[in-house]
Amino acid sequence: MSRFFASRIGIIVSGAIIGALAALLVLWGNPPNMGICVACFTRDTAGALGLHRAATVQYIRPELIGFILGALLGALLFKEFKPRSGSAPLIRFVLGFFAIIGALVFLGCPWRAYLRLAGGDLNALLGIAGFIVGVAIGVFFLKRGYSLGRSRPVGTAVGLVMPVFALILLLLLLFRVSFGENAPIFFSKSGPGSLHAPILISLAVGIVAGFLAQRTRFCTMGAIRDVIIMRDFHLLSGVLAFIVAAFLVNLAIGKFHPGFAPQPIAHSNHLWNFLGMVLAGMSFALAGGCPGRQFFMAGEGDGDAAIFIFGMLVGAAFVHNFNLAGVPDKIVDGKLVVGGPSLWGQIAVIVGLIIVAAIGWTMREK
Amino acid sequence: MEYGVVVFYSTSWALKAEKVAKEGGFEVKLIPTPRQISSDCGTALRFRWEDREALLDLLESKGVRIEGVHKI
Repeated sequence: MSRFFASRIGIIVSGAIIGALAALLVLWGNPPNMGICVACFTRDTAGALGLHRAATVQYIRPELIGFILGALLGALLFKEFKPRSGSAPLIRFVLGFFAIIGALVFLGCPWRAYLRLAGGDLNALLGIAGFIVGVAIGVFFLKRGYSLGRSRPVGTAVGLVMPVFALILLLLLLFRVSFGENAPIFFSKSGPGSLHAPILISLAVGIVAGFLAQRTRFCTMGAIRDVIIMRDFHLLSGVLAFIVAAFLVNLAIGKFHPGFAPQPIAHSNHLWNFLGMVLAGMSFALAGGCPGRQFFMAGEGDGDAAIFIFGMLVGAAFVHNFNLAGVPDKIVDGKLVVGGPSLWGQIAVIVGLIIVAAIGWTMREK
Repeated sequence: MEYGVVVFYSTSWALKAEKVAKEGGFEVKLIPTPRQISSDCGTALRFRWEDREALLDLLESKGVRIEGVHKI
């Protein structure tokens, strides 16, 4: 069975299953073209916890919980649960912080970029192009000797922090715990945060995806990186299967609408779609994994990936507290008003590009 | 033809090793770390198993840190 997951057929089948399920999640209640978006879902979870107060995006997303638990299950079953940490955790926190800023300016992580494409949202092409450029810049730094150093085996507790945190979130969600009047846990009553599939379905999809991704090393960033560094198409074949499967499901359920604008929870500000994802691509490349992969590694016991996730959580809070996010396109009086990030969001992306480039330039193994 | 892989602690070491090995005239190829060896999504260096001793000596002499060597 291990050999199946390691094989080309294994990752293609897994990518297709995950892609199909992601498209179906929209049918079952998730926001349009957002069956799975690791950045948006992290932001929604941050909102539910009250870390930001944007009322339309507050909901603990069970898919992310499923990612952690599914990956943990896969790791435990195949004896790959390896608590480890120590590879420049603070830098990884910063990378997570800026990765999600870039993604939320584009209004999606690479998973959502591919799902938006599979839904006909052509703005995703700009985002994907920026993402590829960002990963290529990361590879440039890798070739110069960039390294965050090796991690080391650590006590089991380190590897269990994220799974336990995920379980606590699950309980808070299932029991709709309220910590007081106007206090978390928040549940959006309108907007994307109010659109969600039933909890158990979201959780089940997350677990299946987490398990398959842990077994196959599915990674939307690695797919690009491996092509650039060594012309290896193994991970990319899984990503392509993901896109094609999501596309076919969208066609079948009538959720394929090609065009640039208006597209749901998206904007057509081409420059910032591109630049936001350059920042995201660089950050994920320097951190060694796309946001999904960081969750799967955290489920395997990787404490450094867990810190990256906490960086994303805090970054998402900053995005909505400081008005950095991309604003979707709107139709006003029958005319299209192109959205995009505020001036603060644009500044944040530029600052992020500089800081992440500085990390890429200066971090070397001691 | 029997192959082995050198596994590294980080991708940048793998890239450096490829450079050193090619300069030393070895026939090597960067490949993703075989899934059976590790769940890490790292980069490994595939080489001809008969070159093993000479290659590892060269890498050590040039200060390239490796995590391990596996036959595939």
